[in-house]
This record gives sequence, structure tokens and C-alpha cells, in this order.
Amino acid sequence: MYAVAEVIDEDCVAHKGCRLCIMYCPEANTILFDAEKKVAKVIEPSCKGCELCVVVCSAAKHNAIRLVHR
Amino acid sequence: MSKEKIKINREFYDIMPKEYQELVEDATYGKEGRGWKDVGESKEMIEEHSLCAGCPESIAFRYVLACLPNPEDTVMVGSTGCTSLVFPHVAVHNIHSLFGNQNAVASGLKRALSYRFPDKVKDVVVLAGDGATVDIGLDMTLQSWFRQEKIATICFDNELYANTGGQSSGLMQKGFVAKMAPAGKKFDKVDLPEIARQSGCHYVTMLTVSKPNRVEKAIRNAILIAREIGPTYVQLYTPCILEIGKQMMEGLQEMRDSEGPGKRFEFKEYISDEAKAYLESIAPKKKRKKVTAQTEG
Ligand SMILES: Cc1ncc(C[n+]2csc(CCOP(=O)(O)OP(=O)(O)O)c2C)c(N)n1
Ligand code: SF4
Ligand code: SF4
Ligand code: SF4
Repeated sequence: MYAVAEVIDEDCVAHKGCRLCIMYCPEANTILFDAEKKVAKVIEPSCKGCELCVVVCSAAKHNAIRLVHR
Repeated sequence: MSKEKIKINREFYDIMPKEYQELVEDATYGKEGRGWKDVGESKEMIEEHSLCAGCPESIAFRYVLACLPNPEDTVMVGSTGCTSLVFPHVAVHNIHSLFGNQNAVASGLKRALSYRFPDKVKDVVVLAGDGATVDIGLDMTLQSWFRQEKIATICFDNELYANTGGQSSGLMQKGFVAKMAPAGKKFDKVDLPEIARQSGCHYVTMLTVSKPNRVEKAIRNAILIAREIGPTYVQLYTPCILEIGKQMMEGLQEMRDSEGPGKRFEFKEYISDEAKAYLESIAPKKKRKKVTAQTEG
């Protein structure tokens, strides 16, 4: 079992310009902006489960990204 | 220049790896004004690598690659250390030098490129850890600055030798105890930015990677000034969370805690007069007009 990040689409405010998780995720090409749905999207196979995205998203009080176990 | 250089022959398109196809279609080679804001919306020039989960060196790498003004005509020179685990997965030309030799290799490379391509802009950018830059490679680092080589040197300062388990480096803080430095560091953190200034660097800056817009400015300035004027030096705090006993999500906070007023990574910047004049000359036209208007008036 390992942990990966997952965006909660309804709570994500990427449509208002938020890019915090995309900006601070240490892994390249791992959180992308989904231009269709206007939310952040995690590319699971390259996520290392470090939780930094969760930290920055919840510090901004969006709470729109969480770790899930696979 | 554009994506011409990396374009795939139509006959071979389908057998190329998906990652390469994405680079050709979606990466920002040749894009005017490329920068960190492109991340998340275009293909980044790094594939999966083996740095620890949450490693700030990994964040720094993303910003540096997103901000290179001319990636298609840039050659990066790396050295041994955690950074060398990333270079094989980077879509910008790069050379791995023997530990410590990076600035010597970069000097030769820059000269060879200017003979071979006299009419082209070719940027040479060194990126190495603090052990490589300040201890084992200090001779090569300094000599390249004395000689006024037109290269940009970026040091990922994690204040120890991370890749070999946490020995002390010249950039470690005095008194710091690490796994392989149990007696504590005996002398002060070497003031390399000041040494760089005294050794002839035209642009010197030290900062953490907690603010991508600042990193972007530093990297662009360093590369543009190195292209036209002379050597430049950027020192980025990229804490080794593993060796300083932090959790994997604590790297960003560690950087924020170390950059306030009076802290050891408080933002520092030095620009020589010559470099300042050059930056002004290439500043966006609007600003330049204002400067001329003022002088005329
Ligand atoms: C000539 C030589 N000496 C020693 C080593 C062993 N070595 C490999 S990585 C490393 C430490 C690198 O430290 P640093 O440059 O600070 O980079 P970091 O791993 O901290 O990012 C050392 C000493 C080597 N590979 N080559
Ligand atoms: S930080 Fe949170 S709210 Fe902002 S884009 Fe990421 S998931 Fe959405
Ligand atoms: S858990 Fe870490 S690696 Fe995974 S998406 Fe979040 S920040 Fe990126
Ligand atoms: S050992 Fe330290 S510097 Fe190297 S990848 Fe891990 S956290 Fe990063």
C-alpha cells in the first residue's frame, strides 16, 4: 500500500487562479491544471506521496487535496 | 530556434516514447518569456527521478528548468551528488563532470561552443551541490570566476554532503551536527556569495526556493548577464530534509523559517555596474522609453 494525492474537484479553486499545489509539488509533470474541468489533477504514477500539496492547500484553507491509499 | 531540433520524423512518431512526444508537442522550447508560470500547463523538461519524496532540490530543479531563457541552446554542467540523480532525466543538453570539475568543464565547453557557433547564443549553466562547489571544486569554481568565464554557476546549497549520508560541507552552519559529522561543524558557514563578488562575479544572489518568482528572476539575470558580461553565481537553499531530520512535507516551511530578516538565507543580491547597465538596455521597451524621456527632459 502506498499514498498518493487526490484532488477533491468540488473544493478546488484552480478556476480562480489558485496554483499552489502545482507550484510546490516537488515532482515535475505531477499536478497539472485540467483546462477542461478547471481543477488541479494529480498524475498518480509520478506522485511520491510527500504531502506537500496537502500542506499548502490546507494552509490556504482550501482543503481541496488529500492523501489516499492505493 | 524552436522545436525544429527535437522534431520527430513522421515515420517514427508512433514508436517514440510518450514522454518524448509530449516534449515535442507541449514543452516550451523557443517560447519567449518562458517561466515558472508555465508549470502545470505545459510539459516540464524533467521526467521521474529518484530524489527523496518532498526534496526541495527537486522543487528547485523544476523552477530552474522552467526559467532557462533558451533551453534549446543551453548546456548544463552537473556534478556528483543528489543533483546528478536528476540530470539523466532532464530534456536539456547536459554533461556530468567528475566531482568538483564542473566549472573547469563548463569553461572549456563555453569556449568551444563560441568557436564552433560564433553567430549563435549558447548558454552554459553549471548546477552542482555545495560540496562540489565550495569544497572539492572550490579551486575550479574560483579560477573560472577569476578568468571571467561567461558561465552561470548555480549552487544547490543543502549545507552538507547529502548523497553520501550527511558529512559536513563548507556551507554547513557552525555547530551543526549531522549523521556523519557527529562532533559538530567546527567553523563558520563559508560566505561564498561575498567571495564570488570579490572574485569577479557580475551578478551574485542568495535565496531559498520558497518563492518561484524570485528564483525565476535570479536564474534569468544570472544567465543573461553571464551571456554578455561575465561570470555569475546563484546560491539556492534547498534543504536536505532527510539529513536534517525533517518530515517529507516540511521542506517548504524549513526554507521559510530560514529566510527572514537576519536569518542565514535572507535574500541577498549584488549586480555590478556593467551588468546593471546591460539589464537596463534589454529591459522591456516601455521602461526604456521612460528612461530616455527622463534624460532628454
Ligand atoms: C572525486 C570524488 N570524490 C568523492 C566522491 C563521493 N561523493 C559522491 S556524492 C558526494 C557528496 C555530494 O555532496 P554535494 O555536492 O553537497 O551534493 P548533495 O548530494 O548534497 O546534493 C561525494 C563526496 C565522488 N563521487 N568523487
Ligand atoms: S492548492 Fe488546492 S485549491 Fe489550489 S489548485 Fe491545488 S488543489 Fe486546487
Ligand atoms: S503528494 Fe507530493 S508528490 Fe504527490 S502530488 Fe502532492 S506534492 Fe506532489
Ligand atoms: S538525500 Fe537529501 S538532498 Fe538528496 S534527495 Fe534526499 S532529501 Fe534530497
